[in-house]
Amino acid sequence: MSTSRVQSERAVTEMLQAFADIGPHINMAERQSQQINDALAQPIGGVVGLVGACEQVLQPVLQDAALTATNRAAVQQVLDLVRNAVGALEQISKPFQHETQMVAQQVDRMYMGFQYQDRISQMLALIEGDMARLQATFSGPGADIPDLAGWLLRLQSQYAMTEQHNDHQVTPPDDTANGGSNETTFF
Amino acid sequence: MAKTILVIDDSASLRQVVKMALTGAGYDVLEAGDGKAALALLDGRQVNMAVCDINMPVMNGIEFVKAAKQLPAYKFMPILMLTTESQDSKKEEGKAAGAKAWMVKPFSPTQLVSAVGKLCP
Repeated sequence: MSTSRVQSERAVTEMLQAFADIGPHINMAERQSQQINDALAQPIGGVVGLVGACEQVLQPVLQDAALTATNRAAVQQVLDLVRNAVGALEQISKPFQHETQMVAQQVDRMYMGFQYQDRISQMLALIEGDMARLQATFSGPGADIPDLAGWLLRLQSQYAMTEQHNDHQVTPPDDTANGGSNETTFF
Repeated sequence: MAKTILVIDDSASLRQVVKMALTGAGYDVLEAGDGKAALALLDGRQVNMAVCDINMPVMNGIEFVKAAKQLPAYKFMPILMLTTESQDSKKEEGKAAGAKAWMVKPFSPTQLVSAVGKLCP
């Protein structure tokens, strides 16, 4: 039991240490991805807005009757180049955004995993303590059978989770309680 | 200047998980392993908010909230209870003590950062 608890705690520590190292990099990638997409999506001042702004400036020039065919073609070519460049940037950014969103979702799941692992460590520590108490109770000279109800009450008083109380009272598992309510109650 | 959040939980692993979520969102974090240790950190320093577990040795979360509310400098400091407890009776107890919000573990970082942002804008 002791070994299991120590190994469970070590698993959490090791995972957290690794995550502490990569976490800032993941956060930075997520922020940068968002900045890139924001910069692209801005209708004014952003890259997408650049196409509209160029067209706004160059359309009157294209409609100028005095413009030679060569110059008209050159202006049109510039517009096409801008459109193509912006389109290419959008095509590059979309998968990048998708990837970073995926990473963010997995990061959320890792956070949940750490917490479940931590719960297991806490439960093992509680059981280990109770078993040690039981052993100590029976190993003394003239050991007496302890008061069962009192024993269980003391154990129950140390529970920190709804599931433990449910298990203790042999109540069917509550899926909502097991996974957290995923909501915040504001008072 | 970054806002400072005091994280109170007897599990060092859980404190680290909360710390990673909050520092990733730009907050500074102070840590305490129980209510008494947390009160010792409320010594006049700038603490904008507390995130507090309920079941802890020495001084539990509800006792901490009540004690913190007695300190003039921290009377209005918002406190979010972050706990495995989900019973309404417990929530009422937290509300009566002076907590501003209740979140059940396991939490997602997005959920935590969003709640902290609302309580500590």
